[in-house]
Amino acid sequence: MADAEVVFRVKRYRPESGARPAFQEYRIPYRHDMVVLDGLNYIKDHVDPTLTFRWSCRMGICGSCGAYVNGQPRLTCGTYIRDVHKGAVTIEPLSNFPILKDLVVDFDDFLNKLASVKPYIVRKDWGDLSKEYTQYPEEVEAYRQQSLCINCMLCYAACPVFGQSHEFVGPAASALALRYIRDSRDEGADARLAQLNTKTGVWECTFVGECSVVCPKDVDPAAAIQTLKFLATMRHMRRLLMPGAASR
Amino acid sequence: MRESVAWNPGRETVRADADEPDQVVLEPLLWSLFSLGGFITAFLFPVTLFLLFFAAPLGLWPSDPAAYSTFLARWGDPIVRLFFFVLIGGSLFHGTHRLKYILMDAGFKGPGPETFLDLILNGVAILGSLGALYYALRGWLFF
Amino acid sequence: MMRGREYPWKRRPGWWLRNRRYLAFQLRELGGVICAVYGLILLDLLAQLPVGASAYTAFLNLWRTPPMWYLNLVLFALVLWHAISWFMLIGKAQPIQFTRRPLPWKVVFGVNVLLWLGVSGAVVYLIFGGI
Repeated sequence: MADAEVVFRVKRYRPESGARPAFQEYRIPYRHDMVVLDGLNYIKDHVDPTLTFRWSCRMGICGSCGAYVNGQPRLTCGTYIRDVHKGAVTIEPLSNFPILKDLVVDFDDFLNKLASVKPYIVRKDWGDLSKEYTQYPEEVEAYRQQSLCINCMLCYAACPVFGQSHEFVGPAASALALRYIRDSRDEGADARLAQLNTKTGVWECTFVGECSVVCPKDVDPAAAIQTLKFLATMRHMRRLLMPGAASR
Repeated sequence: MRESVAWNPGRETVRADADEPDQVVLEPLLWSLFSLGGFITAFLFPVTLFLLFFAAPLGLWPSDPAAYSTFLARWGDPIVRLFFFVLIGGSLFHGTHRLKYILMDAGFKGPGPETFLDLILNGVAILGSLGALYYALRGWLFF
Repeated sequence: MMRGREYPWKRRPGWWLRNRRYLAFQLRELGGVICAVYGLILLDLLAQLPVGASAYTAFLNLWRTPPMWYLNLVLFALVLWHAISWFMLIGKAQPIQFTRRPLPWKVVFGVNVLLWLGVSGAVVYLIFGGI
């Protein structure tokens, strides 16, 4: 068991070298309970300190460690080597994002998209802020699933539409919009649906569904987007048939 | 006008004069027709196509439901005429919408190509549906 | 931050061969387009009805004899996949909820298949006059 080894094929990219990304192989000791992130940390600590990758909590809640492991977008902290050990473990940066260095991708665009859906409570009138806004358990349950998103971007890596069209608002931002639309304390549904009822909003989605397959937190962004399409259509019909009526 | 993305969640209020990003006008309606067409084709096409094209040639049906005299006899029933009109209209709006997205994904992007696709594909769907309406009403109404 | 040396991303043309869900998706999309093709075929069939028996039968037999027959079988298979995947997606697109958790999509799929059987039976009797 102590002598067991595993081969890690990691895609490297050095921005200062000007060369294309290329694989580098590392042979490292392997224990039955290691996750891929443990392997990467072993490489960085003992073999090659130049290997660069993001990680933080190592327990699947911070969303930092997303990467392509054997062709699938996964959290490296949540993927046991024994589950993906097919001769070698191939690790690449997340698809659909520009690469900054090694496994680190540039996600400024993603953060802008999150901000664009107003991911905070919006109200016309705040009332007495010394009192709390109460919610029943059913009201929390209405948006709980979408609130579980850890912003790991695996869904963006899995989405072929986003891979082709970078302006697409994308799965996580849409799920976040639905989380606030469904929050009983919120009154900003109209503004968010206006943001999503655009050429680069939810209408780009063709319901491939891969985003929900790869999501480590079962947020189900695909279903969220279809729900948003329905809500946006209802709002659109209301505005066409009853212009001037007050919107929520 | 860009709103500040500075996070000040406690104080944001809904402003009546806030600018709206460019809204799509047709897409929600086309998507609704696409969805309706999807239900129509999913529920009605398998059995219809089987009876018209495959049941008799494969010897799986006692008679041929698509034979001229048989079909013409059924064509007298307004329900049958309505059925085929709905089936043709639904399948055309569903399929052209899918084709539009396949082509857009393959590279037909931008205001020019997308408008062109919208015109051609929805034109085919509309004309086809009108054609189906014409044949459905022909011989039943006064013409 | 040295932005100029980011390695840009470009989606590969064969992206949908990457896993079987992507492939199933592309076939589903194709099946949807084939529905429109059949819509046009049915329209043409209706157009031959008033022309007469020989025109109608000639058009029908075009699609029921080789080589078009084989194409017809392939197109029909794609339409069947469109229908099956549609029933699978209904449960995923609009979660139907009576209790704390939405109904699993497999339950919705099963209910839709039963509905489809019922509707198909109705079509056989109401539209095609029975067996």
